[in-house]
Amino acid sequence: MILSLAWRNIARSWQRSLVTVAAVATGLSALIFLWGFNDGVHNTMMRNLQQVIVGSIQIHHTDFFKKPSLSRHMKQTPELMKALSKAQHSGQVKGLSCRLDSFALAAGDDVSEGLVLLGMDTKAEAQTTRIAEKVDQGRFLQADDGAVCVLGATAARNLGVSLGDDVIFLTQDRFGALAADKFKLIGIISSGEMGIDRGLAIVPLDVLQTMLEMQGRYTRVVLQIAPEHLESVTTSLRSSLNHKDYEVLRWYDMYPMMKQWVDLENAFYYIFLGVVLLIVAAGIMNTVLMSMLERVREFGVMMALGCSRRVLAGMVIVESMILGALGVLFGLFVGLTLVAWFHGVGIDLSAQMDTVARFYVDPIVYTEIDANHLWQTAGSVMAAAIVAAFVPIWRVAKLQPVEAIHHV
Amino acid sequence: MSDDMLLQATDVCKYYHSGDSDMAALDHVDFQLKKGDFTVLSGRSGSGKTTLLNMIGLLDTPDVGSLDIAGEDVLALSAAKRADFRLQRIGFVFQAYNLIRVLSARENVAYVLQLRGMAKKERLDIADHWLSEVGLKGLEHRRPDQLSGGQQQRVAVARALASQPVLVLADEPTANLDSQHGESLMNLMRDLNERCGMTFLIASHDPVAMAAAKQCVHMEDGNIVSSDIV
Ligand SMILES: Nc1ncnc2c1ncn2[C@@H]1O[C@H](COP(=O)(O)OP(=O)(O)OP(=O)(O)O)[C@@H](O)[C@H]1O
Ligand SMILES: [Mg+2]
Repeated sequence: MILSLAWRNIARSWQRSLVTVAAVATGLSALIFLWGFNDGVHNTMMRNLQQVIVGSIQIHHTDFFKKPSLSRHMKQTPELMKALSKAQHSGQVKGLSCRLDSFALAAGDDVSEGLVLLGMDTKAEAQTTRIAEKVDQGRFLQADDGAVCVLGATAARNLGVSLGDDVIFLTQDRFGALAADKFKLIGIISSGEMGIDRGLAIVPLDVLQTMLEMQGRYTRVVLQIAPEHLESVTTSLRSSLNHKDYEVLRWYDMYPMMKQWVDLENAFYYIFLGVVLLIVAAGIMNTVLMSMLERVREFGVMMALGCSRRVLAGMVIVESMILGALGVLFGLFVGLTLVAWFHGVGIDLSAQMDTVARFYVDPIVYTEIDANHLWQTAGSVMAAAIVAAFVPIWRVAKLQPVEAIHHV
Repeated sequence: MSDDMLLQATDVCKYYHSGDSDMAALDHVDFQLKKGDFTVLSGRSGSGKTTLLNMIGLLDTPDVGSLDIAGEDVLALSAAKRADFRLQRIGFVFQAYNLIRVLSARENVAYVLQLRGMAKKERLDIADHWLSEVGLKGLEHRRPDQLSGGQQQRVAVARALASQPVLVLADEPTANLDSQHGESLMNLMRDLNERCGMTFLIASHDPVAMAAAKQCVHMEDGNIVSSDIV
């Protein structure tokens, strides 16, 4: 009975109800779209960070990340192999590659530069990261390559070398002896990320292992994992690897800045959400209160007939909930349609973006929305609708039948 | 209290504060109704008719006095019990805007039965019965805004009677009607009183209403000054 009365009251003043529902729907769909944009940018950023070179999880010898040194290396011990094959058998690991890296001095014609010299297993790397796609001159490493290297674009410019030139890398091997070798420059990377473009030299893993006396040894194991499995794989790896010998670091353990930035931006969105919720609540409250004040007399008659305040209050809250639910439904529909549409076509921001300061952000934003953000937003709009009923309900609770009946 | 006594109000007072003085809307009123009465409470505007009706209808409580309806000391009841007493024993017809505007005529009548928890089929049958009793057969599905003022008041009467109350209270039921419709509404109530034996108490200063009364009680300044059998 409450439901039918509430629905009929909404239908009776359908114009007012429509405006309210439209306002709620507009507010919610705007929020969903903004979340879509926000999550699109953030998720792309986080995905790019992981996919370009860092990976989702890295396994090192304990303390290697903070104090890199060739002495903190890993071998293919049964413990490590078992842990890795367990992770791979879970089906949650998209790619896995072993790397060896060290600092080196690169010498060009007249100048020298300090670089990270990174040995990559080309085949494994292709399944793990997209670094090969970032080569814009020449080519990336291939299997069976000999003493060849790929350089970041800025590093190549600073060294004054171009494709086909020889670059000499000077470094120390595992025993501290000086090692120097000549590598032919076959590719140049322009990734837009400063760290890569100005400080990285990539060479074949086996070539570097030999040069550094590190045969069968690695400094990093890099895993690519979907976000939803990140935590479980981390936990499982940590439990099967002795923490005295191994550290298992997620991307945000290594580069906390980006996650903090994302969290900060999300916090701003929550504030914005709060403001929109206030507007939604005020809109619904206005509608319900107006329709209630119009009916004070009717409420008085209903009370005189024996209808309890509880039933009247129930009717008011159900009216609010219906308006809220309709608004949320339409808002979800419109908002998700927008997100889905721009997920397909993307929003081109290249004109607004300075290419230098890209920080793993793509110039075309493809909207997407985290399920959590979606339900939080829709849920709080619905909650706002219910909260909005409290002022009218409070008025109903104070209503005296005698006064209400004579209300004009 | 004798067997055919329905209502006994004794020494009832109600005071309102106006400015710094207290004003007695009901000033030591004694009042009785017998089963089957059809009494019109008359008197000038401000004489206290509505106030007395509200006391009897348990919509308001007197400051002084006692009130006994159908053998029950109703002033001793809790607020919730009083609401229930209203629902079970008293029917109301107000001056205007009696009806729930989103409900059809039969739904309005059935509404009080629904509050009592009656099943749908039964309450709609009863509603249709009482609507035809008040001469609204065929208009059951109209909403209040599709009915004339007189028809709306008839729906209100049907609603008041549908729950088979011991007492029907009507406050100025004819005030918003022209004299012709007022008269026919009064005749309808009088007819129902005679055929069904329901007790009516009607507050009105409308001569048309007084003409239909079995008994007329006249009020002045919060006092009952005369009581005539018509
Ligand atoms: N809520 C109130 N506050 C203050 N005074 C009131 C209130 N209700 C009624 N009164 C006063 O009590 C007196 C009796 O009022 P009541 O409404 O009973 O008169 P009435 O006989 O029904 O008049 P009418 O024919 O105009 O309906 C009036 O003087 C009125 O001003
Ligand atoms: Mg009155």
